[in-house]
Amino acid sequence: MRLLRRCALAVAVAVCAAVPAAAQTSDEFFNPDVIQRVELWMNAADWSKLKAAFQENTYYPADVVWNGQTVRNVGIRSRGLGSRSGTKPGLRVDFDRYSSSQTFLGLKSFVLDNLTQDLSGVKETVAMRFFARMGIPAPRETHTRLYVNGAYAGLYALVESVDKTMMGRVFGSIGDDVQNDGYLFEYNYVIGSPWRFGYEGANLDAYKQRFDIKTNESKSDSTIWGPIEELVRLVNTTASASFEQTVGAAIDLAAFVRYLAVQNFVAQNDGFNGYDGMNNFYFYRLENSATHVFIAWDEDNAFLSPDFNITTRLDDNILTRNTMQLPAFNSHYFSVMQEAATSASDWLQGETQRQLLMIADAMQADTVKPYTNAEHATARDTMLAFGPARVTFVRCEVAKTVGTTRPAGCQ
Amino acid sequence: MRKILWTALILAAGATSAGAQDRRGLVWDDRPTIVFGKDVTLGIRGKLQLDWRQFDPQIDEDTFDFRAARVGLKGDLTKHFDYEIERAVEQEGRFGEWKDVYLNWSTFDVLRVKAGRFKLPFGLEQNTGVTDLDFAYRSLASSTIAPGRDRGVMLYGELGRLDYELGVFDDDGDNGELKEPQFVEEGEDLKGVGPSFAARLTGDLFRALPVPDKLKSANFGIAYTNASVPEGLNSLRGQSVWGTEDFFEPVYVNGRRQRFGAQFDWTPGPTGLKAEWMQSREQRLGQSNRNEDLSDFVGTGWYVSGTWFVTGEDKDDNVNPRNPIFQGGIGAIELGARYDELEFSSATKTGTAFTNPRADPLLANTDRVWTFGVNWMLNRWVRVITNAIHEEFADASRSPDPGISSFWSGLLRLQVAF
Repeated sequence: MRLLRRCALAVAVAVCAAVPAAAQTSDEFFNPDVIQRVELWMNAADWSKLKAAFQENTYYPADVVWNGQTVRNVGIRSRGLGSRSGTKPGLRVDFDRYSSSQTFLGLKSFVLDNLTQDLSGVKETVAMRFFARMGIPAPRETHTRLYVNGAYAGLYALVESVDKTMMGRVFGSIGDDVQNDGYLFEYNYVIGSPWRFGYEGANLDAYKQRFDIKTNESKSDSTIWGPIEELVRLVNTTASASFEQTVGAAIDLAAFVRYLAVQNFVAQNDGFNGYDGMNNFYFYRLENSATHVFIAWDEDNAFLSPDFNITTRLDDNILTRNTMQLPAFNSHYFSVMQEAATSASDWLQGETQRQLLMIADAMQADTVKPYTNAEHATARDTMLAFGPARVTFVRCEVAKTVGTTRPAGCQ
Repeated sequence: MRKILWTALILAAGATSAGAQDRRGLVWDDRPTIVFGKDVTLGIRGKLQLDWRQFDPQIDEDTFDFRAARVGLKGDLTKHFDYEIERAVEQEGRFGEWKDVYLNWSTFDVLRVKAGRFKLPFGLEQNTGVTDLDFAYRSLASSTIAPGRDRGVMLYGELGRLDYELGVFDDDGDNGELKEPQFVEEGEDLKGVGPSFAARLTGDLFRALPVPDKLKSANFGIAYTNASVPEGLNSLRGQSVWGTEDFFEPVYVNGRRQRFGAQFDWTPGPTGLKAEWMQSREQRLGQSNRNEDLSDFVGTGWYVSGTWFVTGEDKDDNVNPRNPIFQGGIGAIELGARYDELEFSSATKTGTAFTNPRADPLLANTDRVWTFGVNWMLNRWVRVITNAIHEEFADASRSPDPGISSFWSGLLRLQVAF
């Protein structure tokens, strides 16, 4: 009997020893309730070079440490457009740059947003959480303290890459088939050539220039960009009567209008209907489908002001204008605005407050950010005031536009 | 360009050899030569190579390639000195880079001195002139690891049955020069590669041994170079035969670059057999992601080749067709085959390998090349060279067309040299 007990104990010990520590997931990595600590170890010369040549996309090798786990030989490069910085570089981290099979927590890459254009430090992360809350595909994000070679390099936003992995997460599976083999494009803002969905002719080069393909790169140009050219042509030539049926086959118009409404609600002035044409979004042609959908991206210029006009530039962009001319989608737009106001009323200020508290110490200690702590405090207060004021403004404006009773507090 | 070609062809085709001895003025001694007096000469030299290529699968290369054009002077300055000056000519007619520019003192067999710009004494094939090669292109090892030309001074001579060469050079040869713009922080100086030291020992080792006479001409050699390489992406790199695509990108190095070489050359009658092995080892001091030392970056290459004159000419340094084409014959025809390969990796082989330029171990890649050739020497000056080349990369993702591992290509070259 004693022998049996010993055997049982030995088996139990062996079993316990064989059970690995709870596996960490990408959800923990992007957990919005926690400020992370990410360490980069890279050759001192490379870090100097990256900062000196921050306008270039040169990759440098590095090791990444998170939560006690080390990923060796990842690729790091400077990133961003207006946010590029040689003092506090925005970074893209590719796990598979130097070994095509290397991933971390199932991720192939992630982005370290340097928050240089967001004095509050939370615009991007609050906006993305709100997009997700409103059912729009958006990357997971949180904040992190970044350490480079052991030294604090500042407060960053930790941003999920919009890639095949994310498409799989967002669009799920049909049976065993993960729906991530569609065609993913990053919209490329061409400096000096603002674009508002006007038809640029049958030559695919014009569309190739504006839509950077991120998946299925080896396919032919006609397979990749042909449907984009066709979509733009149809948007520009289809009469209102058949617009929904014709263009709706190539773009999920209801989802598009929802995306526009939420982007307007957060007062984004540099988005799809941006001040200088379209900007800051991904575009995804669903797997085995001709339908395209929009993915939110780079919202750190959101929260411009609570009284941002709720119909800002709806007439400028041809896709927006032609869609909004259809009564059903026009109505849907204001309905989503109303829904956004409701969703934000009991959430936006609280979430903003929570994130600001979470990053407070890390922001104060960040000596490489291009603004002072006093400037951050001002931006923080402005951001905190945005939520309630925006909810009231949008409710009043929607009521005024659609002709319903205006709520209390409207001017 | 056409003028150069026609002038060269007419000169070469119509030329007949005439001895320069006891004559002064402009004479023809295999090439136009101005004789000023006893042991004072000025030979005019020209070289032209035009290539037509085909690739399967197609890569981003033109069919026609203006491979090389050079003009130069070569001659004697008394019986103690000789010299050579050669410069490339671009397709547009402009002068290009300087090639050999040196003065040679050769009073004594045991000690001679060469100074100027010339090839470091490393590599049998690399030290063979571009118009005297058995195949259209040198082996990958010869064009990548062997350093090539540089400015320097070299002592050389004969010690019994051995030939020695010992030189010091400004940099580390054209093939070892820094090809990437260097990053220099404020207050730092731009550093160059070098100086380098090179030594080679060659000899007909079988001459003193009781072996068949045919074996006695076999020549063996060993060589070594040593240079300092500044920190940066300054390593040697693996390029395909056509030299336009990297199958191994440069890695970060810092410290010493050493080369080790061994060579074999045997030319019994109409047959030629050659083989070389060479290795480069470059230090990577403080080059890890955490500023620690990495194991050496290692390039290893070798080849073995065989040639045979169907028309029976002796295979030596100055092949002269027995029956030139404009004197009633068909010229000389030579068949050849060569296998060569070049691999880059790190000295450390254990652990997960990556392609990143600071990885240890590095993910190796090898280019293996078969070259088959037919050389038709119309006369002393004109050659038509055809080569079929099969190139295979161990890592297909790092080939000229990523995803495809093997390539065939064909080449037809017209060469005029005098």
